[in-house]
Amino acid sequence: MTRKTSPTRTAARIAWRETRASSGRFIFVILAVAAGVGALTGVRGFSRAFHTLLTRDARGFMAADLTIRTFQLPSPPQTELMERLAGRGIRRTQITETLTMAAPTGESTPVLISVKAVDPDVYPFYGEVKLNPPQNFKAALQPDAVVVADGVLLRLNAKLGDTVRIGGQSFRIVAEITNEPDRMTGSLNVGPRVMMSRAGLERTGLIVPGSRAAERFLFKVPPAIPILQVRNELKTVFKEGLIADYTEAHPLIEQGLRQSTTFLSLVSLVALVIGALGVATAIQAHLQQKMDSIAVMKCLGAKSSQILRIYILQTLGLGLVGSTLGIAVGSAVQLVFPVFLEKYFHLTSVPRFDPLSAFQGLLVGVLTVLLFTIPPLVGIRYIRPAVIFRREMAGPPQTLRERFQKALAPGIASIAILFFVGLLAAWLSDNARTGQYFAVGIAVAMLLLAGVAWILLRGLRFVSRHLPRAAGPVIRQGIANLYRPGNHAGAAVMALGVGVMFTVTVWIVQRGLLKDIIQTAPPGMPNVYLLDITAANKDDVYNLLKRQQGLEGDPEMLAAVSAQMQSIDGVVVQRDKLQGMARRFSRTVTVSTAPEKPRFTAVLSGEWWPAGTHPAEPLISVSESVAKVMNIHVGSVIVWTTPLRTITSKVVSLHKSESVRLTARVEFFFTPGALDGLPAIYYGGVRAKPAAVPQLQKALYTSFPTVTVVNMAEVLDTIQGIVDQISVVVRFISFFSILAGAVILASSVAGTRFRRIREVIILKTLGATRARIARIFSVEFLVIGTVAGLMGGLLAGGFAWLVLNKLLRAEASPDYLPMAVSVAGTALLAIGTGWAASYRTLGQKPLEILRDE
Amino acid sequence: MRGIDIAIPKGQFAAIMGPSGSGKSTLLGLLAGLDNATSGQILLDGVDITGLTEDQMAEVRGRKIGFVFQSFQLIPTLTAEENVLLPAELAGTGPETVGRARELLTRVGLADRMDHYPVQLSGGEQQRVALARAFITKPPILLADEPTGNLDGRTGQQVLELLLELNRLEGATLVMVTHDAALAGHADRVITLRDGLIASDVLKAA
Repeated sequence: MTRKTSPTRTAARIAWRETRASSGRFIFVILAVAAGVGALTGVRGFSRAFHTLLTRDARGFMAADLTIRTFQLPSPPQTELMERLAGRGIRRTQITETLTMAAPTGESTPVLISVKAVDPDVYPFYGEVKLNPPQNFKAALQPDAVVVADGVLLRLNAKLGDTVRIGGQSFRIVAEITNEPDRMTGSLNVGPRVMMSRAGLERTGLIVPGSRAAERFLFKVPPAIPILQVRNELKTVFKEGLIADYTEAHPLIEQGLRQSTTFLSLVSLVALVIGALGVATAIQAHLQQKMDSIAVMKCLGAKSSQILRIYILQTLGLGLVGSTLGIAVGSAVQLVFPVFLEKYFHLTSVPRFDPLSAFQGLLVGVLTVLLFTIPPLVGIRYIRPAVIFRREMAGPPQTLRERFQKALAPGIASIAILFFVGLLAAWLSDNARTGQYFAVGIAVAMLLLAGVAWILLRGLRFVSRHLPRAAGPVIRQGIANLYRPGNHAGAAVMALGVGVMFTVTVWIVQRGLLKDIIQTAPPGMPNVYLLDITAANKDDVYNLLKRQQGLEGDPEMLAAVSAQMQSIDGVVVQRDKLQGMARRFSRTVTVSTAPEKPRFTAVLSGEWWPAGTHPAEPLISVSESVAKVMNIHVGSVIVWTTPLRTITSKVVSLHKSESVRLTARVEFFFTPGALDGLPAIYYGGVRAKPAAVPQLQKALYTSFPTVTVVNMAEVLDTIQGIVDQISVVVRFISFFSILAGAVILASSVAGTRFRRIREVIILKTLGATRARIARIFSVEFLVIGTVAGLMGGLLAGGFAWLVLNKLLRAEASPDYLPMAVSVAGTALLAIGTGWAASYRTLGQKPLEILRDE
Repeated sequence: MRGIDIAIPKGQFAAIMGPSGSGKSTLLGLLAGLDNATSGQILLDGVDITGLTEDQMAEVRGRKIGFVFQSFQLIPTLTAEENVLLPAELAGTGPETVGRARELLTRVGLADRMDHYPVQLSGGEQQRVALARAFITKPPILLADEPTGNLDGRTGQQVLELLLELNRLEGATLVMVTHDAALAGHADRVITLRDGLIASDVLKAA
């Protein structure tokens, strides 16, 4: 008896024996932990993988991570910086775009074309140039060859294999371009487009210092270097260059990325809380059963520290096993469901297993288990071993000081848990604001739920005391069950309520987000643009378009007048005094008129003029982005120079157009009449089926050879595809976390199972039939479920509104369906799972238990 | 409890009797340091336990007191042998105690039941495991709370005989709470409580 063993080893041994003996009960705890960690790992892993996929596609639209566009050849400091970046592994390639004339050999009339010169050895960094007839892009683009955009052959009156003269040199037309990754980011508004190699461009001698050409530098940044950092470095020397990263490749992509990132991060956090909730309820129920054993151990000489050690080791072990199982489940979800999605929803790529989220899952699982274990264990100090003698012995009345002392440790622990969840939220969310909203959301929800549960229990006590006898013993007993000592109705309402709140929040946010996404990529948005339509041709072009097959919406037409800003609020607009973007507005810009607010345009400040306004002094609405750069606000006076006259206009509103609409191409709208008599050209836009576009182009070219047709159908189809993918994934992830939420909620109700056994026995011994016991419990479950569903639903409504409007900046209106479903659903769930978990206890023979006493 | 002033010398077998609610279990709890007395002093083997902290008290219990409860209070998730071992392990002893645990279990007639869990044992068997557990650390003091109260007459008698025999062998001071006058008949001394007061204290002639 003298040899001492290490306390931890002894604790571990006792913990292991206990665990081994009651593996059946522990499976419940392990499964709850697994469900939580599985939800977290699955959702996070999948969303991370999807996000990677999405950003890869987004990079494809720019063919790079980052681009700079300038109108001059780079200066020595600029070249020097780019070389330095190259030294850090940042690759780059240069693209030159310019205008020139081209004519097929033998044709006398040359046509204005835009030339894009690339280095086919490195371009594009992302995406793929596809040619028709299919061939290798690098091999095709020899110095004496060109590939042309669709419609160019028609314009040049040439066919594949013909030779065309550009800049005095001959080039063979080897293919038509069917896919050009960075088509969106190139210039849109200049006619037939021809792509050649940089070596080919050098042959032409088109680029000499001072030539009017746009230079684009594409960069590919290694994953370890933050793109923003490179962007900021470039900004210091490219003061006038337009720098953009892949998230800005297209407004729809930008919005899709931003919203889906925030949403996925939110859903991950929800999965975290739901998981933690599952772990917490399982551990609580587990420790509750251990209280008798703990009292016995105390009688046998166990110190509080020893007991803490034993049970911490035990729950830690359970946490580890559960977390590992959860990671397995989560990983299976990551691996299996995308295959399913790919098959049925045509996702382009299968996300892979993500080790980081697996690690996060393990850490969160174990930490949560520990955090939720410690507060009840700290309570062990207050377990009086004398409990053994008299189970129902009420302690002596406690003084306020004693009560405070008793509440102190769990109180501090609760605050620590909240803090911990907040920290985790901040760590797990890719967006600091999401983390903050989340932590505050949890705190508020907990407080409200605790308050409501408290009021409810006291209210029920009052009601049941005054309930007429006629209400029947079942209802009275069921309600009495809720506030009798030892019942965890308050805790159950809180756990269920928080679970419902987050689950329903995800649901509402998902619905709102999908609505918003569908609105921003509306079905009728134009995918073919017509440029340079003369006033004389305008109506004929419109009629011709209307007659075409395969249109999916009415053509849109917009007048464009060239004008130059002379002064803003009396300050002369001088190019030298402007920086960066603003310099663009010192030149001629495109302006238009609008009889009333155009469709798909939102007024951000001021007021648009009512229909029929025809003021002598013209009014104007300015796009918000220009207003910001040029320091224009409602009430500003802008003086314009046009070829015929000077116009003084007063700004009455700032607006924002849906970026995919034709109106987004014009930043300034005047009141009707203001531009009368000025030379105008028209822009057109129409939505057509991609297959119908070549025929449309041909018809237009035959009747109106001067009108340029820009075919965006393919590109927009791809974008639409990405937006659709986002919708599918958002739906899938929501479904998964809602499912996980339901499982956890079920387990939190089921956690009260062991406590019920004793009640069932006593009721049975006293002569209650099983049917009666079932009815009594049903009343109890119904009350808990309804209250939790109602509170959770209401809180979810508020929380979802906050998330949608503040974080996702989506237009959201209250959504009542999920709230209604949450009340009914939670009530049913509470009864269903309550019964599923208690069913066996009903069959228990009284003697089995009573003999144990 | 009021005005209780008793001393139980080493090796004595004292029975505490009295009707329900007279304070028997409370007295036992106080002696074991399971409850705190609001005033007064309790000396255990010469040590004043009234001012001890929860953990100090647990240590004293582990070293000096063996317990036998009316409802056995075995840990349901441990086997018979592990239940017997538990107090020794909590006191930090090494694996050599396993031998003594087996020896004790053999002495109470459970040599073939060592790997059984409490639910697999009858009431009498469970209480015999509890007896073995009470003696594992060779405590100088043994406290028993109605040790036969949950057992039928014959089994109760067997358990009592075992208890007394073990006590004789181990030489512990035994304090037993009981309703049963026949059981109290075996004691050296019978203290009767009524309403928290000592109603009688009878020392049997040796």
